[in-house]
Amino acid sequence: MVNLFKRMRKLKTILDIRAGTGAAIFPSTASATKEFPPVTRLHLTYARKIYGGHQGARHFWRSCLPRLKYHNPGVRMTVQQTDDQDTPPALTIYFAERLSSTASAIVGAKKITDKHAPAPASGEQTAVVDLKDLSYKEIWSRVQASTGAEEIPASAEDEAERKRLEAITAKAGKDRERIQGMRQAKKDQERMLAEARGEVEKLKQL
Amino acid sequence: MSSYGAVLPTAARSILSSCRSALREKSIAPAFSVYQQVRGAKNNPQAKGKGKKETKPDRRGPREFRQKNLKDMEQYTLCDAMRYLRAVEVGREPTASKYEVHIRLRTRRDGPVIRNMIRFPHAVQTESRICVICPPGSKQAKEALAAGAVLVGEDDVFEAVKAGKIEFDRCLAHPDSLPALNKAALGRILGPRGLMPSVKTGTVVEDVASRVEMLRGGTVYRERDAVIRLPIGQLGFSPEQLRDNLRTTIEQIKKDASALNDRVNKEIYEVVLSSTHGPGFSLNGEFKTDDSPATSALTGL
Repeated sequence: MVNLFKRMRKLKTILDIRAGTGAAIFPSTASATKEFPPVTRLHLTYARKIYGGHQGARHFWRSCLPRLKYHNPGVRMTVQQTDDQDTPPALTIYFAERLSSTASAIVGAKKITDKHAPAPASGEQTAVVDLKDLSYKEIWSRVQASTGAEEIPASAEDEAERKRLEAITAKAGKDRERIQGMRQAKKDQERMLAEARGEVEKLKQL
Repeated sequence: MSSYGAVLPTAARSILSSCRSALREKSIAPAFSVYQQVRGAKNNPQAKGKGKKETKPDRRGPREFRQKNLKDMEQYTLCDAMRYLRAVEVGREPTASKYEVHIRLRTRRDGPVIRNMIRFPHAVQTESRICVICPPGSKQAKEALAAGAVLVGEDDVFEAVKAGKIEFDRCLAHPDSLPALNKAALGRILGPRGLMPSVKTGTVVEDVASRVEMLRGGTVYRERDAVIRLPIGQLGFSPEQLRDNLRTTIEQIKKDASALNDRVNKEIYEVVLSSTHGPGFSLNGEFKTDDSPATSALTGL
């Protein structure tokens, strides 16, 4: 069986989804304001390879979407991966009833459409953000600005846990170097001995 | 000395010589040989201990699977675990992702294993295609077709399988067709896929139709290295649905464990919930905490 501590360590490493980039709560029906209507759904479309500025979109999916989903379990989030490198990656944000006041400014003048995005339900308004050549942090700042999502800072325990894990990782790096040095020294010694023995053999043959 | 030997008859000579040799040995080093015998004797405790270790190495490990104390393990409620798993599975193909459960048992390394089939209150697989091998046109064949089998027959099924067309996920056989099945030598094709019907796995049955019924919503599970792993729900299930499935599974496994031999003692030790792409969360048996989101938020895709 797997060692419990190993298992916990792995789980804790995965569970950094509670805090970090993208750990934020979208305005819900209860907390919606005039500026920021509730967000009902997200859809991300990007291509399989990174050519054509698709890298940030994928990183956004990998690092931010799980955190968003964790803090907004009720908001549906879908991702479509395509083989089409030429169409720009796009994030469609679905607002209930109307667009937020900042959304149109973020989307900009150049309107794009995402043919893979599911059609908005009645009463939903969509804003499609062009993600081409943006890093995932830039994407996140845009999403946050356009939706008014409220960031959740890491709790004290999470912060302590993170520091502890970081310390363990640092120690692991040091230990790895130390052990590698020891192994290398042993190997060198053995090789030297083997060479010396070889020379003796050669002398005998002469 | 040789003069004695020449006079005496051969038998007497041999007796004498043996006596003489024994006598001489003793006379040379009587004390030494006795001392040696004492040292080599079996009553030396140090030597005894050494010998035993060499002759009887304990090659077998512990009798039971070693299961650690779970007090260091962080455990989660069902809703919290689902919340994490749904977050990890975000953006994945919704039909491909499933919740899985790993039920770890406290059990001996040898002995019988749990092996059974379960029918969930909420079906996990949407459709499982079943092939029934029985004489075509018989009563069983008609019943199996009525119960929802996809492929029914004998020779035509064998032909299709030999041609590499395996369009089913489960395979049953009627005892009447068993000789024909063995003759067709499909074990090499079906065996590695786990589709070969055999009495041992319970896939050779008289009442084919009811078995088909059961298999259509059923999941086969077995214990491997003290763990039973099985898919337990689609990602879109609500926590209540998952709880119902989990409860059914655990009840049935407890029943299986008690149905085994009296001397075999198996008990559930840990229940771990994971998903296709997610990590495993040890469950603590609670449904939700106060911090958990509403169950409606954890439903759907």
